[in-house]
Amino acid sequence: MFEWLTNPLYWTWIFQGLTLTVEITLFGVCLGLLLGTLLSIGDIYGGRTARGLIAIYVEFFRGSPLFIQIFIAVYTVPALLHLQMDHYLLAFLVFGLNSAGYQKGYVKGAMQTILDDQMAAGMSVGMSRWQTLRHVIIPQAYRIVIPSWTNEFCSLTKSTSALAFVGLFDLTSAGLSIKGITYQVLPVWMVIGAIYFVWITGVSKLMDVIYERKKIPGVELDLQS
Amino acid sequence: MTDCVMEAKHVYKTYCVKGEKRKDVKVIEAVKDVSLQIRKGDIKLIFGPSGSGKSTFLRCMAMLDIPDKGDIYLGDQSLTAKGVDLNKARARIGFVFQHIYLFRHLTALGNVELALRQVLKLPKEEARKRAIAALEEVKLTDCIKKYPSQMSGGQAQRVGIARAIARKPDIILLDEPTSALDPELTGEVIDTLRDLAHEGTTMLIVSHEMPFAKEVAEEMIFYDEGHVVETGPPSLFFNAPNTDRAKQFMTRIINRTTRE
Amino acid sequence: MDVWQQLFNLLEGVPLTLSISIISFLVGIALGLPLAFTRIYEKEISFAVDLYEKIFRGIPEIVLMLLFFFGLGTFFPLPFGSAFFVACFVLGLRSGANQSQIYRGAIRGVGDEQMIAGQSIGLSKWRSIWHIMVPQVFTFSTPGLGSEYALLIKDSAYVYVLSGLLEITTRANQIRQSTGDFITPYIFGALIYIAITFPIAYSLDRWGNRRKKKIGL
Repeated sequence: MFEWLTNPLYWTWIFQGLTLTVEITLFGVCLGLLLGTLLSIGDIYGGRTARGLIAIYVEFFRGSPLFIQIFIAVYTVPALLHLQMDHYLLAFLVFGLNSAGYQKGYVKGAMQTILDDQMAAGMSVGMSRWQTLRHVIIPQAYRIVIPSWTNEFCSLTKSTSALAFVGLFDLTSAGLSIKGITYQVLPVWMVIGAIYFVWITGVSKLMDVIYERKKIPGVELDLQS
Repeated sequence: MTDCVMEAKHVYKTYCVKGEKRKDVKVIEAVKDVSLQIRKGDIKLIFGPSGSGKSTFLRCMAMLDIPDKGDIYLGDQSLTAKGVDLNKARARIGFVFQHIYLFRHLTALGNVELALRQVLKLPKEEARKRAIAALEEVKLTDCIKKYPSQMSGGQAQRVGIARAIARKPDIILLDEPTSALDPELTGEVIDTLRDLAHEGTTMLIVSHEMPFAKEVAEEMIFYDEGHVVETGPPSLFFNAPNTDRAKQFMTRIINRTTRE
Repeated sequence: MDVWQQLFNLLEGVPLTLSISIISFLVGIALGLPLAFTRIYEKEISFAVDLYEKIFRGIPEIVLMLLFFFGLGTFFPLPFGSAFFVACFVLGLRSGANQSQIYRGAIRGVGDEQMIAGQSIGLSKWRSIWHIMVPQVFTFSTPGLGSEYALLIKDSAYVYVLSGLLEITTRANQIRQSTGDFITPYIFGALIYIAITFPIAYSLDRWGNRRKKKIGL
């Protein structure tokens, strides 16, 4: 059942697949954080039009499955633009854009819990609104948001397995290939599942430790909302 | 045995409080060797500085906190013995909380009715009748359909009292029933308690309402740092307490009351 | 196939998407509630609940579906040979893990004092949970439950990797393959999902807020 585990070729595949999974997730979470922060600032301080556009953006990326967004990125976008585009690049982008839709909610929630008081305090020492945002609000908001960030990391990693179905070589693709040769369906998926599990659980644990160290005593985000 | 409704024998209770950091754990000895007897119709009042463990002791009496050592008796039955059905026992003990703790998802009537239906298993109509009677006793018939969030603090606490008396418990334990209320709302709760006292209800009250204590309590118990310092009738405390600590505390509290 | 035929074809997948997500949601409630209370009030076995939650947080739904359907399905065609069963099974268990987390937060929010008050009138632990905590916990969890249900609708798209379940995403791919149209089926598909998820999240939110105000949570 598990003899195939001794074949180094399969391990190269697994490693190659895992690399893509990890790269896409990390890139997605980071781009998502950057964009999500901009979107939440826009949502708090922007005018009507800006807020409306942001709402549409968020509704699109949060309201439809990431799976279908991947299809749109890989098939629809190149067809619309009449361009040959790199599937990997498109996949990276769609993960970042999707994550931004979710992270906007987390960052904005975190900013709002501290915004009024801290903004007043910042302005009272003579800082401008932007300075206060940069030096007071955002550093605090990022610490508050770490647990949501961990959740986002978990669900993005899990979603990368959809990439196997648009022809990208991620960890699930590696599983499909090995299964195609060995026909050991159940063992292959057990091993692949275990690798995902160890990676995701390990990183979440690490994030929890970071959160414990970095968290501001007394300031916690109500994860309900 | 005795004709005690409730009795505490050498009860101990400590608990830990976490500090700012994980390592700082403070052990608080809230109850140290406290014994107390309450007979039928008794009204006893426990008072003392805040943080001295009075509430913990009261919770131990109802076995809402389990004592580390010592025994609690309800009539002849030991509640601290192994294998006692505490829920059955608690059905015979009324408890009124400082912060009221009404069930937020139920109306006033629902709050009072719940135990009658679920614990005493009364049929629907009888439970309703008794719940309404209890609410009448605290003079709240107009609030029957209101939710806790729609009532004033005084009304909510009277529902709390109705919830405690509706199942006709052997004794009612009241944990600072007025101290979480705005001063102008304590009157209505005190009036309710006075009515109960005149009906001969057995009560153990933690409270600092001194005029009320003087009027209804047979015995006052001065409690400090986890144990009973002095016991006696109100006249003792209002004239000349024996211990210095009680003397100091009484002076402070009487000054405060007269200033207000 | 013209554009309208495509749209109708996709819309025919809506009932399947809805039934998978509703069944999974109900399975999730049935698992999540007891698990959340177990995790908080039965300390001795809470590690098992923790492990269960971690497994479904840490393994992709697609991998689980492939494992149960193609892996276990060959050995146990009943029930794992049924794609519909596997879809509801995996998503339901996953939702149970998520909901357990949601309810746990809600239990903390409702507060231990409600449990103590319940016990003070003589209710047993599990009866206090049932009569006092559960109704409040549901109210408290509404925004979280709304997004959890929306998540199930979106995640039902993963059943594309199984065979024979013609829900929205599977139909969109079929249309692309049969017509070579790379654009409209996916755009329509995404819009249909949005049209389903938006009102659900919105109305649950409103209902929850109203109810919360009423009971003062």
